[in-house]
Amino acid sequence: MSGLRGIAGRTALVTGAGQGIGRAIAERLASEGARVACNDVDPVTAARTAASIGGLAVPFDVGDPEAVRAGVAAVEDGLGPVELLVANHAVMTMAPFEQTDPDDWRRTIDVNLLGTAWLLEACVPGMVARRYGRIVAVASEWGLTGWPNAAVYTASKGGIVSLVRSAARAVGPDGVAVNGIAPGVTDTPQLDVDARDAGLSHEAMVERYAADVPLGRISLPADVAAVAAFLLSEPAGALVGQILSPNGGTTT
Amino acid sequence: MVTGAASGIGAACALELQAAGVPVFGLDLQPASACDGHAVVDVSDAAAVDAAVAQAGRTLGPVRYAVTAAGFYEQRPLAGVGAAAWRRMLDVQLGGTVNVCRAVVPALRADGRGAICTIGSELALIGDGDAPHYAAAKGAIHAFTKSLALELAPHGVRVNVCAPGPTDTPLMTPELRDPAYIESLVLRRLVEPAEIAATVRFLLLEPHTMVGQVVSPNAGAAM
Repeated sequence: MSGLRGIAGRTALVTGAGQGIGRAIAERLASEGARVACNDVDPVTAARTAASIGGLAVPFDVGDPEAVRAGVAAVEDGLGPVELLVANHAVMTMAPFEQTDPDDWRRTIDVNLLGTAWLLEACVPGMVARRYGRIVAVASEWGLTGWPNAAVYTASKGGIVSLVRSAARAVGPDGVAVNGIAPGVTDTPQLDVDARDAGLSHEAMVERYAADVPLGRISLPADVAAVAAFLLSEPAGALVGQILSPNGGTTT
Repeated sequence: MVTGAASGIGAACALELQAAGVPVFGLDLQPASACDGHAVVDVSDAAAVDAAVAQAGRTLGPVRYAVTAAGFYEQRPLAGVGAAAWRRMLDVQLGGTVNVCRAVVPALRADGRGAICTIGSELALIGDGDAPHYAAAKGAIHAFTKSLALELAPHGVRVNVCAPGPTDTPLMTPELRDPAYIESLVLRRLVEPAEIAATVRFLLLEPHTMVGQVVSPNAGAAM
């Protein structure tokens, strides 16, 4: 425990917690003493993370608003009202935007952007009523800079950035701080997809990305989790509508 | 090493770092007596800053973290900012930041660790119609910090800017305490110095990959 105030004893919901950044955030929050609900669309990985940190597995598809409402209700029944929300889930497809299947567009926006909106819709009223809440949405460096062959993904992430700012303005006066994180390339299972596409090993892919990072290495999930934990802490309440970018200096 | 450590944001940062177990050497025009060591120094005086950093090294050990909070705020329309006011503002804000960084960087670079957090301003992001010299000087700090961050990142030293919004310190002018202004902020309140200090502590001490970033606890004044 690092002594971040305002995390111990609170109830947290982390989406996309089955692997990668979400799993690291769930682990960090548990180590800070939070009660953590671990969501993933894959019930197996959600259960695995929950078991490893003594949390509650709540598998559901964030792209389905009914499922989100039911899932958030299940967290409330099991652990109490959600006070710390981390919308970290994401799907990613890479393709030239003019050749993207309309169904890929819809699925990506449904999960990444609208999934975040459904989570806010389900969790914010209770936070406002209790006059306290901390929300972190995970966007992406590419959502700020754009990226060739990733327009679908970056548009969904750019939408999250804008949603974060609007929500922050709306509920900031009620004690609910909404912020975002825009991680640069991070060493997660998603990186294996890039490696496969590039015909490289995981290690070679990490090395190739790291060569472009001023810090000399790409982020680990724990690097991003540290940023999330800070934004979820009580003294971070003066940060509203801000986007923090753990990227090793690739975008300043 | 914390500059401006005798009051306001600097004092809050010193307290926060001490609470985290980091001994703090404070620089200020006033004695920063609450610190573990202090020197009365004008940060725009490079030789005095060098001497203070050397003194800190002798008494508390090599400087591993630096926070450059020394600064001042004043409102003047452009026509009212003469050459002397421009020079003083730039000497203290940009010059003071550069002097401290220049003094501590060689050891950080040699050690391959440590961190610097400069103090910029939310007004460098959105401008200040009442203080063009202040906003410009803070903007220069932002650009300097990003540049230093890129220079030092390959050596394992992380450099970032904390850009506070309107914070409840002795620097606040009556205009910034106007209830109508405060009501215009998303949070409907000023930022507390302890909230700035928590951000600085995070940037300096937490394990993360933030490099050359501007982090702005500003109560919603700028997004």
